[in-house]
Amino acid sequence: MDGVDLRVEAGRIFALLGPNGAGKTTLMRILTTQIKPTSGEARVFGLDVLRAGAEIRKLVSYIPQEMSVWTDISGYENLLIYAKIYGIPPRERKAAIEEALEKMGLREVANDLVKNYSGGMLRRLEIACTILIKPKILFLDEPTIGLDPSARKVVWEELAQIRKDYGATIFFNTHYMDEADLYSDEIAIINRGKIMKQGTAEELKRSVGGEVVQFEIKGEKISGDCWERLRALSMTNDVTASDSKISLVVGDAERALPGIMEILRSGGVSVERISITKPTLDDVFLKYAGTRLESHDRIGEVRHVRRMIGRG
Amino acid sequence: MMELELRRLKHDRTELYTRAIQPILWIVVFGPIMAAVKAIPTEGISYIAYITPGVLIQSTVFVSIFYGLTIVWERDSGILKKLLVTPTPRYATVIGRSMAAGVRAVFQILIIVPVALLMGVGFVPNVIYFILAFLIIFFASGGFAAASLFIASFMKTRERFMGLGQAITFPLFFMSNALYPISMMPPIIREISMFNPMTYLVDAVRGLTVSGNLSNLGLDLLVIVLFNLAMFVIASVNFKRIIE
Repeated sequence: MDGVDLRVEAGRIFALLGPNGAGKTTLMRILTTQIKPTSGEARVFGLDVLRAGAEIRKLVSYIPQEMSVWTDISGYENLLIYAKIYGIPPRERKAAIEEALEKMGLREVANDLVKNYSGGMLRRLEIACTILIKPKILFLDEPTIGLDPSARKVVWEELAQIRKDYGATIFFNTHYMDEADLYSDEIAIINRGKIMKQGTAEELKRSVGGEVVQFEIKGEKISGDCWERLRALSMTNDVTASDSKISLVVGDAERALPGIMEILRSGGVSVERISITKPTLDDVFLKYAGTRLESHDRIGEVRHVRRMIGRG
Repeated sequence: MMELELRRLKHDRTELYTRAIQPILWIVVFGPIMAAVKAIPTEGISYIAYITPGVLIQSTVFVSIFYGLTIVWERDSGILKKLLVTPTPRYATVIGRSMAAGVRAVFQILIIVPVALLMGVGFVPNVIYFILAFLIIFFASGGFAAASLFIASFMKTRERFMGLGQAITFPLFFMSNALYPISMMPPIIREISMFNPMTYLVDAVRGLTVSGNLSNLGLDLLVIVLFNLAMFVIASVNFKRIIE
């Protein structure tokens, strides 16, 4: 860690995006009081991780990257054991477990041994274990590593539902750009232990540079007045044209489009086709971290996780 | 935590049976052969009866000592990290896991005692003594398991742990009164065996179950309690190291 300065608002889904070895897991382990920071200060709901560890542990729930359930007992039994570890009173235990199973769609497989679960079911069981106590913050370390796209989607739908139901803050680490892009309210980019940039996915992308809107028009000439007005809309104060295509760079394409259409229509230009090119988080990452974020899986890690499951 | 172990055992009992093979061999093969030699003073009871408590404890202590392996596995998976983020205090996790190992260990009793009965071992016919012995074994197994957790917090891979486990268990066994009285040992080993908690454990259980000689019971219990407390404390203090 190298001078991380980060603020996360309550009730949001927050993604910490960075390549392997960037310090994502270390940061999360400091925030969940597993390891002590060598210097600096971290607070969870205003509670200092060094002094108020016990109080923090009552508010947070954490799912490690690897696996946090016992594979040689059933899903229901895992929930039962965790309910006891969390100290849920016996009267409420059954209801809490039933609710968690229902929410995560695990009712049918509740009595199967966990070693027979698929990767997606395993993650959902882990999430079920953490929502037993309805935590204020859910820390997820690479929640969908090694899952196929449809299982990832299911996991995220469940997580979004949890936030809606309990108003929990979700803080997750990921090296999948699309995941940060699709499911988070806010993203911080981390590289080599430093937070490079923080903002919503839209803000981050916009900060890289504008979005490009390109029109294919029917042969007619565009009037000089029309050019001027288009230029005024453009971020780079320039509109390029070639053959029957004109393109301009704007800050927010969706917002700019009606205005551009208005100008073109009033100038009597008929548009055949519109395309919008937006910067991706990869471009954002390239700008702030100076390298590309490898989006393919770390095969070694995945194998490791698989092996753990197989070993039972 | 104990419930966790019971539930795991319910789903997979193989370990119970395979673990029972070794102690059964001690009682069924080693016992009668050594008894035939008649070289070991056994306080007036048969040699097989003499070693039964020792073998019983050896087998329960071995289960406990290797319990650390489970913890190393849980370290490799993410379970330990998650447990450390629950509101449960560390010492509760350590004691809970240790006593859970005790649960696993005492199942050995259920297998070994019937075998010993078949071999004609005469137990002291006193249910209360027997229950007391059972509780002592259970409690002390927890202590040895805590020692194992302590070791696991240094040995973070299962290979290293296996190596050290072997290096500890046999000296514990042979440098105790499990198979022969301490008075027969060479003086240096005798000194060492006085610091071996297993010696006191075997003495207590032997007195309660086969010999009926309870003269040292107070001291035995004191040593076991102190041993357990010490192990619980050092294992708790060191527990966090295991995930680092």
